[in-house]
Amino acid sequence: MVAIDIEHLSKKFGDFTALSDVSIDVQPKEFVTLLGPSGCGKTTLLKLISGFLEPTDGVIKIGGLDVTHVPPEKRDTALCFQSYALFPHLTVKENLEFGPRQKKVSSSERKARIDDVSEKLDLTAQLDKLPNQLSGGQQQRVSLGRALTMRPSVILFDEPLSNLDAKLRDQVRIEIRRIQKEYGLTAIYVTHDQAEALSMSDRIVVLNDGRVEQVDSPEQLYYAPKTRFVADFIGDANIFPGEVVGAISNGLWQVETGIGSFSVTALEAPKTKSVSLCWRPESAIIDTSGIKAKVVHRAFQGHFTDLIVETNETSYRVQTKRTDAQEGDIIQFLVSPDEVILLDKDT
Amino acid sequence: MTMEQLNKILLISLLLICAIWLIIPFTMAVLWSLVDPSEPWTADKVLPPVISLYRWVDMWENSSLKSALIASYTLAPSAAILSLLLAMPTSFALGRLKFPGRELAKMLCLLPLVVPAFITAIFFTSLLYQLGLSSWRPGAILFAHAVLFMPFAIRIMTVSFEQVRQDHIDAARNLGASHWARFKVAYLPALKPGIFATLLIVFIQSIEEFAIAFIVGSPDIVTIPTLLYAALGQDYVRPNAAVLSLILVVPNVILMLILERLLRSANPTLSSGKG
Amino acid sequence: MTLRRGLLIIGLLMPGLGLILALIGTVVYIAVSQSFGFYSLNGISEFSTEFWSKMVGRKIFKRSIQYSIYIGVLSAIFSVALAYPLAIWLRKPFAGSNLIGAILKAPLLVHGLVAAFLFVNVISYHGILNQFMQWLGIWSEPRRLQNDPNAYSVLILQTWKNMPFALLLLTGAVQSISDDVLDAARDLGAGKWDRFRRVIAPLTISSMQAAMLIIFIGAVADFSFQVIAGPTNKQSLSQLMVSFKGRGDWHSAAVVGVSLMMIALVGSAILAAVARIIMRGRIK
Repeated sequence: MVAIDIEHLSKKFGDFTALSDVSIDVQPKEFVTLLGPSGCGKTTLLKLISGFLEPTDGVIKIGGLDVTHVPPEKRDTALCFQSYALFPHLTVKENLEFGPRQKKVSSSERKARIDDVSEKLDLTAQLDKLPNQLSGGQQQRVSLGRALTMRPSVILFDEPLSNLDAKLRDQVRIEIRRIQKEYGLTAIYVTHDQAEALSMSDRIVVLNDGRVEQVDSPEQLYYAPKTRFVADFIGDANIFPGEVVGAISNGLWQVETGIGSFSVTALEAPKTKSVSLCWRPESAIIDTSGIKAKVVHRAFQGHFTDLIVETNETSYRVQTKRTDAQEGDIIQFLVSPDEVILLDKDT
Repeated sequence: MTMEQLNKILLISLLLICAIWLIIPFTMAVLWSLVDPSEPWTADKVLPPVISLYRWVDMWENSSLKSALIASYTLAPSAAILSLLLAMPTSFALGRLKFPGRELAKMLCLLPLVVPAFITAIFFTSLLYQLGLSSWRPGAILFAHAVLFMPFAIRIMTVSFEQVRQDHIDAARNLGASHWARFKVAYLPALKPGIFATLLIVFIQSIEEFAIAFIVGSPDIVTIPTLLYAALGQDYVRPNAAVLSLILVVPNVILMLILERLLRSANPTLSSGKG
Repeated sequence: MTLRRGLLIIGLLMPGLGLILALIGTVVYIAVSQSFGFYSLNGISEFSTEFWSKMVGRKIFKRSIQYSIYIGVLSAIFSVALAYPLAIWLRKPFAGSNLIGAILKAPLLVHGLVAAFLFVNVISYHGILNQFMQWLGIWSEPRRLQNDPNAYSVLILQTWKNMPFALLLLTGAVQSISDDVLDAARDLGAGKWDRFRRVIAPLTISSMQAAMLIIFIGAVADFSFQVIAGPTNKQSLSQLMVSFKGRGDWHSAAVVGVSLMMIALVGSAILAAVARIIMRGRIK
């Protein structure tokens, strides 16, 4: 059975459409990230799943039960807030047992859960402290622990790492993933940081302007983006136009572009003759058989060098391990055809 | 039922309740004040049969209303000014100088609000008798009002003084300004809203003050509240009481609205509730 | 701190704080002294506990104490109990919330005596309430509602006058609770009542205590509402005090006055502590 089933979900605020026609399936124990720029609707979607907003249209099912109109206090979800939202007047222990007490869990079971969570999250020494006596990282862990003691079907994260400094963020990222696997929880994670999304998720839902652009594993999203937006948002991409010349064989098409002729794979026939293609900067190989381009900008990054090159009045971004190209030089580069991706939509 | 629907229902029911608890009593008061004595308003009629300003004119001419109005409306501004002047040095000290016990001093300034009004009134009167000043009534009431309402003056002016900018003062000094000139250019602009607020609040409190005016003032000095009290006691003539009530409330409402406007524009933190 | 500065500070504090301390201090001093027989205005001044012992034995004194405490406690409780749901309802702005807020705070602008008059007017024997009830057919003849022996009129007036003040204090406190904290409580399974009991109440305790304290002190010392709308067979402590003074018995008035002050202080401390215990579940 699917853990979360979202069908044709829409949310309008007056005239403004925050989400339109979103349909997603989340499998049990899966870690799914909602990724997108601010205003894309990811927080709205999270609020709909947790119950703080009611959809204008569509159905949400959790564990097979229709919860579309069920208020948050009755849903089997637990939310980790961006601001942690710890109860300032309760100790860490009392914060942790708030949820189970509401569920009328027996006090022995409560104690067992708190002991387990505080050990796993290294909070045992903090149990009698008040939130204002804790560091940011500790507060974050209490927020996580509070959701865990609920033993929810679904655990939700609303950009939990944005208030932490960079080093802590990496640590906590690993911790969250570890805990999610250990407890076998279904998790929905909201972030605008694509590096976070790529490193933590089983699958990522990329949202833009209230619509789902693509739902796939991180590798698929990176190597096979379907739309211009996804290609651009995840990692760097060189997106450029091309003309479809004709079909080579089943699923293989010949496309003419400003940097050469490519045979690209596409499952469906391109709808128009003018299409968009993309390749990742690291796919470029500097080779004498490539096309000529002038280096207009060079940035040494340590383990690679970022170059912006121009040819045929178009700029492309190239990443190379070679360090000998300088600004103003003419270099030659080529891109292997199987690293050129045909994009679905031209947005 | 959604939150919005619930809100609407609560809103409508609350408006209904407010109609009952505000509009009806006041309408009754207005109507009663307009009753003409030629035809009394008996229970069987919904509205008074004859309406006139008779009561208003009568009260003005024949009762102590005139002297009460004069008393109240001279006492209040005087008390306001006196309170402000007495409060200034203390507020300056509390607002701009650091010294041990400052927080305690701030709290002690609130003492008059903690002692019940009638206790202050009665034993202040006793004090007057002890000192043989019992003939000095108006002055006594003025003094009592000024001190009784000083907590408001001190609190507001302390906040105002805290907001005077040191760099303005320094600039003025640097340019060779005398003490008075310094005060005018650096202090006064920041203090102005506080000064107005203080004068207004003490004025309003003094107009409404009952306990001291009653105990210390009777029977010689009549203010509007004490006149109203008398009108509600032995000589209970309903229309007269209605007239006095309206005279007491309407200017008060207008003044309070002005005060609210003033405070909101000057400094949101000064808006403290009237207790 | 130098002597000169010290003198300057004291000098500045004299006209303001100094006068306040002088006035209140003297008033309290005289009240206490007169209760023990000093500063007699019509007789010999000498120390005596006679006034105290006589007063404590008087039934009217005991009844006044009970009555005033009854009024004080109930006024505080009703005002706060009514103000809490309203403050929570008005926490987030919605269409009309400003208007409602202003209307609810209107009684702050109305003088106590005027309020008493308006109320008495409405419930009077031929007043509009009686007429309305008869028109609806609920009552067959007018009822005498004024000066009822249970002091409902006084309690209604006290609540009417004081609820806006409690609302003012509680609104600020309730609005300072972050949305996220309340959402978190909801997410963890707390319904409306649980959210109030376990999150809102503990976090707004100090404002609630301040409100209860101030309302209690004011209501315990009430004079105006009592004389105009209160029961005729009971007297509030202020009323009793004024009547003793009126008769020239300053010493007895002083006894009542000092008792009133003590009750106000002790009573409010007890009320605050009890409220805290109930709301928080423990003393912290």
